[in-house]
Amino acid sequence: MRRRSGAILAAIGLGLAGCGGEAKTTDGAWQGEMKEVRMAVRGSEDDPMITRRLTAYKTYIGKATGLPVKLYESSDYNGTIQALSSGQVDIATMAGGGYANVDAQIGDLAQPILTVRQAEGDTGYYSGLLVMADSPYRSIQDLKGKTLGYVDFNSTSGYLYPRAVMREQGIDPDTFFGRSSFAGGHTQAVMALDNGQFDATIIQAGGGDPEHGFTTGAHYTMARRGVVELADFRIIWAAGPIPNSAVVVRTDRPQPFIDAVRGAMAALPYDDPEVWRDIGQPDGAAYTAVTREHYAPIIKLRTDDIAARRSGERR
Amino acid sequence: MKRLVLAAGAVLLSAAQAQAPTLPLRIAEVTGEAGPCAPLAADAPAGQRAYVGLLAKRLDTEVLTCPVESAAAAAEALAAGGVDFAQLDAAAFAPVSGPARSILSARAVGDLNRLPVVVAVPRKAPAQSLADLKGASLVFGGPMKASLEVPRRALADYGASEAFFGPQMVALDYEDAASRLRAGQAQAMALHAGAWQKLCRGDQPGEDLCQDLRVVWRQRPVAGQAWAVRTDMSDDRRFRLIGIHVALHNEANSAFAWAAGEGAEEFEPTEAKALIHQGPTVGS
Repeated sequence: MRRRSGAILAAIGLGLAGCGGEAKTTDGAWQGEMKEVRMAVRGSEDDPMITRRLTAYKTYIGKATGLPVKLYESSDYNGTIQALSSGQVDIATMAGGGYANVDAQIGDLAQPILTVRQAEGDTGYYSGLLVMADSPYRSIQDLKGKTLGYVDFNSTSGYLYPRAVMREQGIDPDTFFGRSSFAGGHTQAVMALDNGQFDATIIQAGGGDPEHGFTTGAHYTMARRGVVELADFRIIWAAGPIPNSAVVVRTDRPQPFIDAVRGAMAALPYDDPEVWRDIGQPDGAAYTAVTREHYAPIIKLRTDDIAARRSGERR
Repeated sequence: MKRLVLAAGAVLLSAAQAQAPTLPLRIAEVTGEAGPCAPLAADAPAGQRAYVGLLAKRLDTEVLTCPVESAAAAAEALAAGGVDFAQLDAAAFAPVSGPARSILSARAVGDLNRLPVVVAVPRKAPAQSLADLKGASLVFGGPMKASLEVPRRALADYGASEAFFGPQMVALDYEDAASRLRAGQAQAMALHAGAWQKLCRGDQPGEDLCQDLRVVWRQRPVAGQAWAVRTDMSDDRRFRLIGIHVALHNEANSAFAWAAGEGAEEFEPTEAKALIHQGPTVGS
């Protein structure tokens, strides 16, 4: 006990010494106000390794902000949305649909600050309609009356966006398919398709485009983990591009915190490319600053969808 | 006991943070004539006033402008601790690359990130470095800006302009480029790092699809201009400066236009030595 107290006092002493010098760890008092950084992460993303790899990321953000970082894992989309909306966390990474939900709940109290720009300059990804490779389905029209799996009500690529595009193409997703239900996540959607629970499922697809094919998405990640065989699946329809996920912060946190965390995250691919890759970001990609305006189309889709449900126009 | 010690520590730390003086931010401004650091003149351009005002507010500190004769003088002042933030070019930065580091550059409208570029050869090829590829045939991973323009620029930055290589061809995409390299139609292949990652990442656990290839060179294009700070600037101030600047184009147009200059789309962070070569250059 005495030894530990000594160590703690020594650490305090070092901290104080650091504050007085030219090269200080901290510049102001905002860290005293924040005390810690609370970040929401999805615990069941399609690559569970990512959560484990977040340790290095946590260390990086902790060093950059001079504060301990706590990761809050949520097993579903709504958990992350509610954690940010309620103020349980300060910052979260979420897809546009998730942010639209947060925006509907707390408006300006949350603000998207960064999104990923891919090497080629794009800032979007796609929804893919996935079927088993040995199935007879070649186009979305072949799925009339068949069972369809969505990812989650709060999923942008796995629910909100593809349904809007289907309507634009003259397909009412509520009546065209025989039955539809939520799988709970991209991984679960692929597993359910593989297990025969659905005839098709909607998933996220990226690292390419409909013309040239895709290289990222849940079934790619699962194949790399040895869970499924990539050759067992086919994408027969795609919608997009959809604005990439946003890093969203609570605006009632100190502005210096928002600036520092935005700066630290934006600098990551340049300062520590290994950690950048570790958290699943592609080489050559980088963060770019965004505002609510970037997600305005997704917010409108969400608002319209909710309004249609309330009016009974949609199921 | 432990709780008491922690509580006492928290109080002391919090008091020290509250009392720590916030140092002013001194920005070098090349005016052709040196002068003392001072608050911005009231008749300064509106964009500069907006920029300095925003920095002062967001950093909660006084922002001073420090007239210097040239970029080289700005670098010297930075190294000597006379200024905290300076826009430098490679020539000015090189002598101070020890005590200083770059943190930001301005990305021009329509340009891409400063993507890392990879040059690969067949594993059994004799080339060990970029210099060994003089006169070699080269295939690029596609006609797009990221696949052709960026690799060409990065290579040229390191002395390997088009004349350095032998015959050059542009493949349809990175997979086509790799096929041509493997078929012996080219001796080397240049891809941006994202394409290399996609090419080599297998669909099975731990699978590496590029075991038959070898990377002999990997670099980002060198930044033409960058904003630099001292390496002993606190992480807090450095990251806040970056965080403020990368969002400046969204938040304060006139301040951004003043700070980033004509033709800039946004600020982007840089690695510490973005202004200088990170390896040997080769002659063309």
